[in-house]
Amino acid sequence: MELEEIRVAVLRIEGTNCEDETVKAFRSLGVYAEAVHLKQFYSDMIRDEEQRSLFDYHCIVFPGGFSAGDYVRAGAIFSARVKSVLKRDLEEFIREGYPILGICNGFQVLAELGALPGFDEDKPLADKPEMALGINESNRFECRPTFLKHENGGKCVFTRKIGKGKMVMFPVAHAEGRVIFPRGKEEDYLERLKENDQVVFRYVDERGNYAGYPWNPNGSIYNIAGICNVKGNVFGLMPHPERVFWRYQHPNWLENPESPGDGRAVFESVIEYLREF
Amino acid sequence: MKAKHRYKKVDVPFELYEIDVLNATDDELVAISEDLGLALNLDEMKKIKEYFKKKGRNPYDIELQSIAQAWSEHCCYKSSKCYLREHLFGIEKDYVISAIKEDSGVVEFDEEYAYVVALESHNHPSAIEPYGGAATGIGGILRDVLCMGAQPVALIDPLFFGRLDTPEDRIPKGTKHPLYLLYGVVAGIRDYGNRVGIPTIAGMIFFDDSYLTNCLVNVGCIGIVKKKNVVPSKVGGVGDLFVLAGGATGRDGIHGVTFASAELDESSEEEARGAVQLGNPIMKEPLIHACLEVVEKGLATGMKDLGGGGLSCVIGEMSLASGCGAEVWLDKVPLKEEGMAPWEIWISESQERMMLTVKPEHVDEVLYIFQKWDVPATVIGKATADRILRIYYKGYKVYEMDIDFVVKAVEYCRPYVKRKVRAIDETSPPSNYAKVLLEMLGHPNVASKEWVVRQYDHEVRACTVIKPLQGKINREGHGDCAVIKPTDSWRGIAVTADVNPWMTKIDPFWGTASSFDEMVRNLVAVNSIPHSFADCLNFGNPEKPERMGEFVECVKALGWMAKGFGLPCVSGNVSFYNETPYGAVAPTPTLMGIGIVEDIRKAVTSNFKGKGEVVLVGETLKEFGGSLYCAITGQKSTIVPKTSPRRLKKYVNAMLEAFRRFKIYACHDLSEGGLAIALAEMCIGGGIGCSIDLSGLKGEDYVKLFSESNTRWLVEVENAEEFVRFMAERGVKAYHIGSVEGDELKIRNLLSISVEKLDDAWRNGLVRFTGW
Repeated sequence: MELEEIRVAVLRIEGTNCEDETVKAFRSLGVYAEAVHLKQFYSDMIRDEEQRSLFDYHCIVFPGGFSAGDYVRAGAIFSARVKSVLKRDLEEFIREGYPILGICNGFQVLAELGALPGFDEDKPLADKPEMALGINESNRFECRPTFLKHENGGKCVFTRKIGKGKMVMFPVAHAEGRVIFPRGKEEDYLERLKENDQVVFRYVDERGNYAGYPWNPNGSIYNIAGICNVKGNVFGLMPHPERVFWRYQHPNWLENPESPGDGRAVFESVIEYLREF
Repeated sequence: MKAKHRYKKVDVPFELYEIDVLNATDDELVAISEDLGLALNLDEMKKIKEYFKKKGRNPYDIELQSIAQAWSEHCCYKSSKCYLREHLFGIEKDYVISAIKEDSGVVEFDEEYAYVVALESHNHPSAIEPYGGAATGIGGILRDVLCMGAQPVALIDPLFFGRLDTPEDRIPKGTKHPLYLLYGVVAGIRDYGNRVGIPTIAGMIFFDDSYLTNCLVNVGCIGIVKKKNVVPSKVGGVGDLFVLAGGATGRDGIHGVTFASAELDESSEEEARGAVQLGNPIMKEPLIHACLEVVEKGLATGMKDLGGGGLSCVIGEMSLASGCGAEVWLDKVPLKEEGMAPWEIWISESQERMMLTVKPEHVDEVLYIFQKWDVPATVIGKATADRILRIYYKGYKVYEMDIDFVVKAVEYCRPYVKRKVRAIDETSPPSNYAKVLLEMLGHPNVASKEWVVRQYDHEVRACTVIKPLQGKINREGHGDCAVIKPTDSWRGIAVTADVNPWMTKIDPFWGTASSFDEMVRNLVAVNSIPHSFADCLNFGNPEKPERMGEFVECVKALGWMAKGFGLPCVSGNVSFYNETPYGAVAPTPTLMGIGIVEDIRKAVTSNFKGKGEVVLVGETLKEFGGSLYCAITGQKSTIVPKTSPRRLKKYVNAMLEAFRRFKIYACHDLSEGGLAIALAEMCIGGGIGCSIDLSGLKGEDYVKLFSESNTRWLVEVENAEEFVRFMAERGVKAYHIGSVEGDELKIRNLLSISVEKLDDAWRNGLVRFTGW
């Protein structure tokens, strides 16, 4: 696919609030990206020129925010709405290998949709959620920089341009980010994730060692910050790569102002994947 | 009900009363004001009687309620206007597009864009219901910025509470413990600000006994707008339709403004709960998108938010501003509950509502945009050519008054007495310098606010380029300003919030001048050019001449500093009646300073980088009035630091020039705790020590270390001697006092403390109360 042909949709409903910076990140790499309201896929009141289909796009992003207020459980309402109107399209989209990214609240939506951990390639949306993003161990919202170690061996289409073992800094900002697997199945799930090369990012300290709070800001099992599905085209993470797209968004960037931001590689990776699609 | 016989139910199929003011005696007029919760005094009631006498009829309840809203202190600044005009307004700068007149100040950012500034108080509601009060404070200030057509890009929250160590049994009846209020207010700001997706990037938290029964919650907001898209807060023209957009109208927030214009007492909780509005950030978030889409398409001729006084104020003020009248169909307003009387609908302060005026031919397009965002929007009236406001409800006319009478309100130049400050200085050196410094670092006013800052999403929108916490990751210190990059250019906006209530409490004039100086110092410390400021003036009861005296002194000082320095005041708010039977708040003129960072790549942060020498800029005198040193040691001084706008300007110019000429690695202003605290903070943020020798400076050691004289900075610079010479050539005092090195803060002959120990004291000062 040519760069100019690539179309990216950042889905929004009331309360999603990171769509502008996410769209901007994609656009600055030369692809077409737009924020699309979920209603544009199904509602009768939307005028023709604003109506959309999922297959108008090659990549879908669930952005950060507090979709519908997240008053029930983070991501629960957004995912319920998506399921009721787009389930079949979304399954086909994933099966065909198109990439889907969920950042922060978007990760929570993907977990609620059953798209992650996504062990079953034939059934990309599980009937019931198989993981949850629980309330942080600190029991409150935290906005802080976190160091992540990239541990994916090449399956995840969003991180292929980041070397295995490389450390990056993406900030987190969430109250519910602790990865939890069903009780009693934790070890089994971790084994499968590792075996399938689905672990993508893990929280580490400034020297690259796995560490507890505040380096692991939420108490996630196995220090997990982000995982992909078994096919590698659905990727969810709590930290925000779009908030470190440029170096000037990093803390202490003035000491090294001209290099690219750490998060840029996520967007570059998926674009490269789509160009070869 | 004391004047029950003066209320006559009107024969209509809804609740409407005629109030017999024409035959009411003076006592009865006062009783009517009390019965109906109007908070109007006898003179004001007589003015109303006079007006209706001429009309030859009695008013309906909705008409009286409407006047009460418009004439409340909160809406019309009747006690403050004349002093503000005399001292503060009218600082001309060609880059100011709109100051004071509208809901927010609008100032040129660059060729294409303007930034928008608003600052307000939400004190009374937060004292009664901290979570909801603070949350709706955020909601309100966002609307003030939005209604200029601007995208909000940053929130700022200066907060003031009683001391956290206040024992339970010292809390007066009807008052909530400061710790409870702190938890509630921070949670309210967090849950609203984070949900609505606007970063909270700056603020301050100050603890003092005077806030025990009156906490102060000030909220500021910055927005960005293309100059061509700025929307005025007035009706576009005759024939335009009023479109009410956003949440439905309910009984929440009735009499909010009249409640905010009186002292609180122990019964306030019972009586005023209903005056606190309920916020809904998930209505606000799409409301912002929808309004901005309408603005971008050029479909709104005027826009204003519904805040204090609800519909009553918004329609009146928008019409008055363009010299027209209005006709309103009140039954079109979407309601939260049935059975609301017309006056309740008219003055309800339900949140998340905006008023737009739209040309009739664009109404369908505007309604479509709101519908797309699932935001209810309804046409509820139209602008007329006469200067009269008429309201219809279910076919009956329930209101007809001249807009000029209602909105062009009363004004008082209230009497005041100036407080005499007797110069006392009984300070002396401490027995143990290190112990004093560690205690200072652990004082909640100085200690790390990380517990608060991290609960706010200060990075959403991804344009916070200098963060509120600066330095080594997970060991950060505080910066002087946060900086945002609101557009695609390298130009940035620096923001700071400052006031020193310990100083204003002793000496309102010099305390305010010092606060202004501090604001400017903070802006300069990040290498930004001071550009404009907003003020939120929080005081006690203006009917008491001593309180009015405090207010007038503050305003005089602000005007003197701002005019002399040449910094325009572009927006502001006055909050009186922050007083209970237990006392008034310290005079609190909160200032929000805005600086322009010409190139964010040239911005400077406060933490030591370990590369340069340490230079102190400025002069230190024995000025301990309101100082942290006095608070910690229990010593006494009334000598509040002095300053002068011209001297400040000279220093600022030299500093800004030095940033261009020298490699400056770090810069920090000296404020609470003086030189000692500034050095400690720079060490903490950098995780690195310094060796300092003060023997080259004149004066006593404890003065050099702890005095809080104005117009001073610390810099870490590559070539210290040359820097000092450069400053001297410009008539600016600067002293090379040491170098950045090691892992201790060493001050020769006085103290030596490891950075780790400083860090511990500073980092635990607040969390020892709040818990982690």
